Amino acid sequence: MPSALKHMLFIVAPLLAVFAVLPGVYQNHLLLFNFVIFLILAQGVNIIYGFTGYLPFGYVGFFGAGAYGFAILVMHYQAPAVVAVLVAGLVGVALGLLLTPLLRLSGAYFAIANLAASLAVLHFVANPALENITRGPYGVSLTGTFNPTLAYTAALVVLALTLGAVVFLKNSRFGLALQAVREDAVSASMAGVNVVRMRVIAWLVSALVAGLAGGVYAWYVSVFYPDNVFSGEFSIFAIVFALFGGVASICGPIVGVILLYGIYNLIGFTTPQYFQLIYGLLIMGLVLFLPAGLVSLATRRGWHVP
Amino acid sequence: MSPDTAPILNVAKLTKRFGGFYALDGLSFHVAAGEILGLVGPNGSGKTTAINVISGLYAPDGGEVVLDGGSIGGVASHRLVHRGINRTFQIPKPFLSLTVRQNIEVALAYGRAAVAPPDMAALLDEYRLTDVADRPAADLNNAQQKMLDLVRALATRPRLLLLDELAAGLNPAELDWIAERIKALARSGVAIIVVEHLMGFIEHITDRVIVMNAGKEIFEGKLAVAVQVPQVIEVFLGGEHAA
Amino acid sequence: MLIYALVAGVLFGLYFSLVGIGLNLVFGVMRIVNLAHGDFLMLGAFVAFGVVTLAGIDPLFAVPLAFVIFLMVGVLLYWVLVPRLQGSANPEMLSIILFFGLSQVIEAVTTIFFGTSERSIQSRALGTVFSTIKVKLFGGKPDAGGPVQIFGQGFPASWVIAAATSLIAIALVYVYLYRTRLGTLTRAVMSRRDEAFATGIDVDRVSAAAFGIGLGLAAVAGIFAPFMFGSVTPAFGADATVTSFAIVVLGSLGNPLGTALGGVVYGVCYMLVQTYLSSWADLLPYVLLIFILLLRPSGLLGRRVRVA
Repeated sequence: MPSALKHMLFIVAPLLAVFAVLPGVYQNHLLLFNFVIFLILAQGVNIIYGFTGYLPFGYVGFFGAGAYGFAILVMHYQAPAVVAVLVAGLVGVALGLLLTPLLRLSGAYFAIANLAASLAVLHFVANPALENITRGPYGVSLTGTFNPTLAYTAALVVLALTLGAVVFLKNSRFGLALQAVREDAVSASMAGVNVVRMRVIAWLVSALVAGLAGGVYAWYVSVFYPDNVFSGEFSIFAIVFALFGGVASICGPIVGVILLYGIYNLIGFTTPQYFQLIYGLLIMGLVLFLPAGLVSLATRRGWHVP
Repeated sequence: MSPDTAPILNVAKLTKRFGGFYALDGLSFHVAAGEILGLVGPNGSGKTTAINVISGLYAPDGGEVVLDGGSIGGVASHRLVHRGINRTFQIPKPFLSLTVRQNIEVALAYGRAAVAPPDMAALLDEYRLTDVADRPAADLNNAQQKMLDLVRALATRPRLLLLDELAAGLNPAELDWIAERIKALARSGVAIIVVEHLMGFIEHITDRVIVMNAGKEIFEGKLAVAVQVPQVIEVFLGGEHAA
Repeated sequence: MLIYALVAGVLFGLYFSLVGIGLNLVFGVMRIVNLAHGDFLMLGAFVAFGVVTLAGIDPLFAVPLAFVIFLMVGVLLYWVLVPRLQGSANPEMLSIILFFGLSQVIEAVTTIFFGTSERSIQSRALGTVFSTIKVKLFGGKPDAGGPVQIFGQGFPASWVIAAATSLIAIALVYVYLYRTRLGTLTRAVMSRRDEAFATGIDVDRVSAAAFGIGLGLAAVAGIFAPFMFGSVTPAFGADATVTSFAIVVLGSLGNPLGTALGGVVYGVCYMLVQTYLSSWADLLPYVLLIFILLLRPSGLLGRRVRVA
């Protein structure tokens, strides 16, 4: 059996099945929905950071832009929710295209510029001068399309697509070439790889994923403010979940989300500052003692982890 | 192989500036298919810069690089690879976290070799990498990383191969072995430019050398002749000595 | 209006230079991105609150206090965190995440002890030491620390004091870098870290000192934050970090004295936008940061940052 098929059958399909069944047996649907959203975002970070080495500190920019793309289409054009989600994905890609020049920056410069870009989009959307279009800081309410069950299903579809993309990267020469670019761009070009095109493709795919996730999120919650959908926590959580599990793998980000977001929900809501403290310490410990993620515990022993 | 055939690469009046410093200042030479050309000269004379410009890492600031009669100055590296130019690096640059096999796979898949791409197992075997094929490139020693660099280049079936100090740091047995490999490549029709400090090695493998100083050529011909030319001796005295 | 904006811009700009300079010193010496920089500013502000509420004295006295405390904190933190980080595969990238974690820890601990409410200090408190001295020497009544007149316009005394302190601090950084032995070594490490290692410079000692000084300067800048920005909460750190980055990149990363220039340019832009386009003022630091990175990635004073 080709390994791509194996990965789809034994990792992707069971995960999707579990999340398709869970709403029937577990009452807290919002929590399940958030799990799915973070699975999508962590894999989106995996695509851009794991496979190309660009750390998207402002990843939430695509997510928020997608959410507002959805909202604007529904508010001003009365579009059906599914169409609006697709447009949300396109808004993500459009923002990604606008930001492709950032890929010329390396290392920390890219991360900081990307963070600044996401904050710029936030302040742009939240500007009272644009109240007619985005409702500015006053938030949007999309009661017309409110349908959590369908929105949850849509989230699962986006998750399936995202996981499919990661499985492809993990098993294809394209993914291998991306990793080569991450390791050494000059050598990669000497292997005949078009470095710029590869980076742009990975960047736009991860932007698409986050845009779609934002659209689905807007559909599900239906009432939100700029600060909700542009919250830096989305970027940070997605990055930390992905890193904790281990990037450039299929399982790493999944394990990261399930463990860390699980812990978050066990201790998180009642005392946010204690949670923030534990979380901060966890991040520091992770970087200092396990920089390549949980997956590296296995790969160091020579076990292969997909 | 006769070096009289039409040159595959022609470099004419090439200049490359870094700020106000001319790393290349009107360099001209040519190399033919099947020929091994040595580029020698003291540190800072522009040898590596010349290779970097020819392989598309830097765009030239003036002059021409002509491959098969078409100008290639400023063309992106990966396109040049597809047109048959490849190189190794002074400090080898493998994809450290990928396995040796994956390193080569990338080049086999993306190199668009004009003729059928070479066989992975044969390459691994020929350059003594079979035993480490499934280890990450980071685990290799320096000599092995150099061989991987070379194999990565060969996987794209280059017609012009630029070797930047491939021999430095190899032991005498390895030197003899790699010299034979390079000669065999030339016999198969590959044009090869060798940048090297080991004069014995250069003497042994090259048909012809270009002696460079301050970004231009000051001598062209046999190394044995070059070492008698006063200008060449002057350039090397106080710098590195011919071995 | 224009003159007011320009003078206020220069005053703020000098202060902004102080805000950014510590971040730049740390990056320049260690190639480490201190994403917790803004949180040390925030802690500096809390030192000022402490001095005012507990001792009831001029917050200017908090300047040496905060500097010494955070100098020591910095040296300690350096030894705990950095050597381990430098040993990893990609220190620059991981430093972003590590110091993000640290910033979360600092914000959380501050919130646990002080709550999330906004804190401010009456601007009269700053500089009382001057009027006290004036009264002692020349007699007369203590004045209320009214506005300072520059070019016929009144500016809050706290702005002028902050700008003057910043100027002195930057001058001291200059003296450190160019007139002391450790400073000379620091510049050597900044220009060629690997070669500095090879020549036997104790890179760790130089770096620890730079880290300590960087945090000390951040804390000193933080003391004036309540006066410059009105109020401070534990969450203030994150915004301050991004602003610092804009300033530092504007001047040029890795060149601490370039930050002085970057700060003034930033300050003037900031005040001009506030004056003429106030609803878009929030966008300024981010857009400016992106444009500078893309158009003049080396900043105003040069250093290569792009991918080869």
